[in-house]
Amino acid sequence: MTRQEVKDKIVEILKTVPTLNQKNLDNITEDTDLITDLGAPSTEIVNIIAKAEEKFGFDFEDDDVDNIGSTVGDTINLILKYADKKDEA
Amino acid sequence: MTFRKVAIVGMGGIFPTCKDIDEFSKKIFSNQSCIREWEDAKQYGKKVRSTVSGYVSLEEAGLEEIKSTILYDYPEFYKDKWERIPASNLSTADLGSIWSMLATKDAIVMSGWNEKEVRSEQTGVVIGCGAGGNEVSRKAWHNFFTLDKKTRFLGTHNVDRCMVYRDAANVSCLIKSKGVCESIGSACATGLGNIGYAYRLIAYGLQDRIIAGGTEGTSIESFLGFDAMQVLSRGLDPEKSSRPFDTARNGFVCSFGAGIVALEAYDQAKARGAKILAVIDNYFNNSDGSGDMFAPSFEGQQRLWNGLLGDDKKRLFPDVVKVHGTSTPLGDAIELLSIATFLGDSGYHVAAPKSQFGHMLGAAGAVELITALLMLQEQKISPCLNSENLNEQPESFQIESDWQGVKEPLAAYRNLLPQHSLEKEINRIVCLNYGFGSTNSAMVISKDNHD
Repeated sequence: MTRQEVKDKIVEILKTVPTLNQKNLDNITEDTDLITDLGAPSTEIVNIIAKAEEKFGFDFEDDDVDNIGSTVGDTINLILKYADKKDEA
Repeated sequence: MTFRKVAIVGMGGIFPTCKDIDEFSKKIFSNQSCIREWEDAKQYGKKVRSTVSGYVSLEEAGLEEIKSTILYDYPEFYKDKWERIPASNLSTADLGSIWSMLATKDAIVMSGWNEKEVRSEQTGVVIGCGAGGNEVSRKAWHNFFTLDKKTRFLGTHNVDRCMVYRDAANVSCLIKSKGVCESIGSACATGLGNIGYAYRLIAYGLQDRIIAGGTEGTSIESFLGFDAMQVLSRGLDPEKSSRPFDTARNGFVCSFGAGIVALEAYDQAKARGAKILAVIDNYFNNSDGSGDMFAPSFEGQQRLWNGLLGDDKKRLFPDVVKVHGTSTPLGDAIELLSIATFLGDSGYHVAAPKSQFGHMLGAAGAVELITALLMLQEQKISPCLNSENLNEQPESFQIESDWQGVKEPLAAYRNLLPQHSLEKEINRIVCLNYGFGSTNSAMVISKDNHD
């Protein structure tokens, strides 16, 4: 799974989150911050991570979820970390 | 202690089968019923006794349920199709909280409060409900306990969408008020209880303005709970099913809605030239002390009347008594006989708005107070629909040796209960509501005579 493929799927998830500024989703980069750039309430990050967890079919550890940052790149890194683990297995 | 005079300067609501308060008023005074067959109940067939309700559908409220993409059947979000409430506020709200916010917006517009006044430390929010967050809660826990989903899949809004004071909290977050933010709970007296509490906060000088009221979002779970108690009306046409005081009454109609009023210190409201919908003369509440969770108490209601009017009975004698009048066999009889014992058999009329829209539970007292405000505005009494035949024999408790009230049967008070809307000079109305737990609430409001 490439970073771009992961990013595209994350954008699909973000489109289902009504509290985000949907107009800004067209110009997403890895540096886009879900809170400051897309207007998400801080509580929304966990909802987005949970949706990513279900969509990608992973079982995230609580520590990873607790320490996640708020940029799109942070979520991509988390997904790829679990994708790599899956490949190693 | 000197109490400040309190005015009602705004109102708003969500009403069954009505697009706004104007349509609600029109239906009330043209003797129409807002009660319908409810498919959500009918779909369960013989598992459910009652199938009628004064419900409000999502579509009618301009809302759309957005299901979760990761949980089974979970209402993750209610989209406001008419774009009245920002998404960030919708994300923390259950259905009832959204109605509270919508009704608050209407009440504030009517009040004429500016943004500085709304966002003041002197502006509070006091709104309650009977129950709520039921659908959100039920489906969240089904996903966790039965379908084995993780807690984080439930999302971070399960708590704020289901907490007891979510209506007040969501409204306060929407309008950014800085004063008191609380909910009072007293079952079916909740709507009036919250407004009464808000009245006291202003009268005692603790707040200058308060958004107050009660909400009960449409909920099949709430309906089923009362259906299980065998207390809901059944077997009658929808518009005939709520029939306070009538001999054929067989239970209340479980309904839903929201009623919000804007209260303000009278002198301040007058100083800024506000339109005064009514003045609150007094509020009183008590408990029966009977130890009975459900049964009404004549003695408790007599103390309620004494507490409300007491030595001011002559000065505050009402033109209309807006009753709780649920259409339950014992409750209606005790209430009417209690009124007749305290006020006598003439000089006032009785209005029973539940006959038109059913029992809105935690919203009942607030929506019925709005009905009373409309009565003052229109100078018309809302009808006691379906109060066709009153018992011509004394109630069984009236012939017991310890009965302290009037001896005449309900039929003796026929002339107090108009079955159709009636034009009349109305200067003062008493509003009554009672709730499980033997709680009683009463408020007396008057037309402002200092225009």
